Amino acid sequence: MTETKTSNKIGFFVRNQTIVVPIAAIFVAFFLGGILIFLQGVNPLVAYRAIFSEAWFDSDGLLRTFQKTTPLVLAGLAVTVGLRIGLFNIGAQGQLISAALASALAGIYITNLPPILHVLVSLTCGVIVGALWAGIAGLLKAYRGVHEVISTIMLNSIAIGILDYLVSNPFKEPDQALQRTKKIAETAILPNIGVIPFGFILAVIICLLVSWMLNRTTAGFRFNTVGKNKFAATYAGINMKLMVVTGMLLSGGLAGLGGAIETLGITYRFEPAFNAGLGFDGITIALLARANPLATIPAAILVGTLRAGGASLQFETGIEPEIVDVLLAITLLLVSAPILAKFLFKGKAQKSANVTSGWGN
Amino acid sequence: MRTLAGISILALVLAACSSGSTDTAAEEGMEETTAAVLDDSNCAAAESFCVGLVTDIGKVDDKSFNQSAHEGAMAAAAEVGGFYKYIETTDTKDYAANMAQFTDKSYDVIVTVGFLMAEATVIAAKANPNTKFIGVDQFQVEEVANVTGLIFPEDQAGYGAGYLAGLMTKTNKIGSVLGLEIAPVQLFAKGFEAGAKASNPSVAVTTVYHPPADNAFGDPVWGAAEAKKQLAQGADIIFGAGGGTGNGALIEIAKAEGAGTAIFCIGVDTDQWFTVPEAQPCLITSAVKGLTEGTSDLVKLAFDGSIAGGNFVGSAGISDYHDFAAVVPMDVQDKVAGVVAGLKDGSIKTGVTL
Repeated sequence: MTETKTSNKIGFFVRNQTIVVPIAAIFVAFFLGGILIFLQGVNPLVAYRAIFSEAWFDSDGLLRTFQKTTPLVLAGLAVTVGLRIGLFNIGAQGQLISAALASALAGIYITNLPPILHVLVSLTCGVIVGALWAGIAGLLKAYRGVHEVISTIMLNSIAIGILDYLVSNPFKEPDQALQRTKKIAETAILPNIGVIPFGFILAVIICLLVSWMLNRTTAGFRFNTVGKNKFAATYAGINMKLMVVTGMLLSGGLAGLGGAIETLGITYRFEPAFNAGLGFDGITIALLARANPLATIPAAILVGTLRAGGASLQFETGIEPEIVDVLLAITLLLVSAPILAKFLFKGKAQKSANVTSGWGN
Repeated sequence: MRTLAGISILALVLAACSSGSTDTAAEEGMEETTAAVLDDSNCAAAESFCVGLVTDIGKVDDKSFNQSAHEGAMAAAAEVGGFYKYIETTDTKDYAANMAQFTDKSYDVIVTVGFLMAEATVIAAKANPNTKFIGVDQFQVEEVANVTGLIFPEDQAGYGAGYLAGLMTKTNKIGSVLGLEIAPVQLFAKGFEAGAKASNPSVAVTTVYHPPADNAFGDPVWGAAEAKKQLAQGADIIFGAGGGTGNGALIEIAKAEGAGTAIFCIGVDTDQWFTVPEAQPCLITSAVKGLTEGTSDLVKLAFDGSIAGGNFVGSAGISDYHDFAAVVPMDVQDKVAGVVAGLKDGSIKTGVTL
């Protein structure tokens, strides 16, 4: 009797290993990180308490956690959508920053619009610019066979160069030594509702929509089919060129929305240093979430929490905030390499999600 | 079952590991930076003196800018028996939150390092009128009673270094590899160019700034690549000014053929002979500003209550030649010393404007 019960339990874990493995990975990462913290002469529990009490149990800290989480959810979603269709969009950063500038410009130079409409217009500008920027890589892939890993990362550099020029010359704030734009109009600001930024709610809604689209619609079925086996998809009559371009447009649009929300909800202007690394964190989140759109929310909350609590960690214990990156790196390593899954489930381990099928095609 | 066992073992070990140490471990780690006051639990009390420091995107061991301010603040706090702590910023959006960590605990003085934090510092100061803010490299346009901007005549330091470079160059081509294009860096660069032109009118100066990015002062790879480019174009003296970015340039030049005999480099902010020993093969001097001294002076002024809002001008000049005292001809050394003295007493003007 007891024997069958336990095997049922194991069965539960095996069936849900896409959830079990990342959670176990987080525990292992915190354990290993705890050893590193301990070696620096600090009690790991004190250190982790410093992070979480700041990030979750302090109203300013909680707001900052959500603010940091919001663009990460969307950047993660952007990479996820790409992965589902077999495209590795590592250019989310370039798409995100282009969109951040576009939405800032819409927020500054379009005037005389009522508040809600102004926000919508500015967000849309960001989404369009992000989508178009990724669309370039989509077209190159579809019609010229340029691998998106190469083109998107090159487009990152091009975006940085163009934005530097724009923000240092035509759109530079007058009488300001820093390269940055003016502040956006009051009507374009995305408000916070208590400790929840409005942008976070928007990000969650978008997450649900994307999840529904991927799992419940014909378009989603096409996406998944192309991602699983593009030869079978072609044989089934799916227009590959169209799928690649739409996939990149959608991915870029999501990254762009992340950048636009960041500008309208937090920074209120564009400054190159503001959006540092968000697009790259998106890759971490998508891999951590194993390309599951809904899982990007908890994955982004984890990253946002650690980043928001980093300063408190250093203030309370003197540990350098980079320990947070170590934790994330260990977690990611354990999730993407099949070591942990094999250790936990032996032969029953599923192969890692088809996250890297974009390579070599 | 194996799974559950594995997880529970992990949990047990984690608990055991952490119960072995107590809260005192955290305090032990901080002990070297504390003097008379052991913690910051009573900063609000009149008899305690707490000093906090927030870096811009940079580390307190960057061998340059942040480190100098950090050392100055730490030394001054120790000297007056105060408590000192710092936070290294990792995201520009966190400046306000990082300063709030200190203001929440009623710190007496907060040192914010770097021009990029100028605006955030003034906003925090207005919200916390009882805390003194020291803004290193932050020129104050408007006077706020509790903000003191520590500024330096960087153009003078750059001018002195440029004057030396103008006399030392054989190819009549010199260059500078710089961090972000912001006022202090521009002053260094323009002073360098003006000084070089003053001592050698036929010299050509190549100037390159790092494009705006969060790593503008921490991109040694870019710095090294730009230095290599300038060397290939025939420059024989290069001024590396921009935190880790400039250090990357210096280290690259130190590895070049002819380093120390035909090719030289000039460091910045602090005497980089000590902070970047890898650059010693080429480092004839550094264009220095008295960051450590200036920060320390201001913290002490804040301690005795005589600190004033507005700007506080620190010192700037060029550092010792160290091993290159034998390489730089005596008459050149005399001329440069004359110019540096002239800049200090005001008889020589750099003519640099932004």
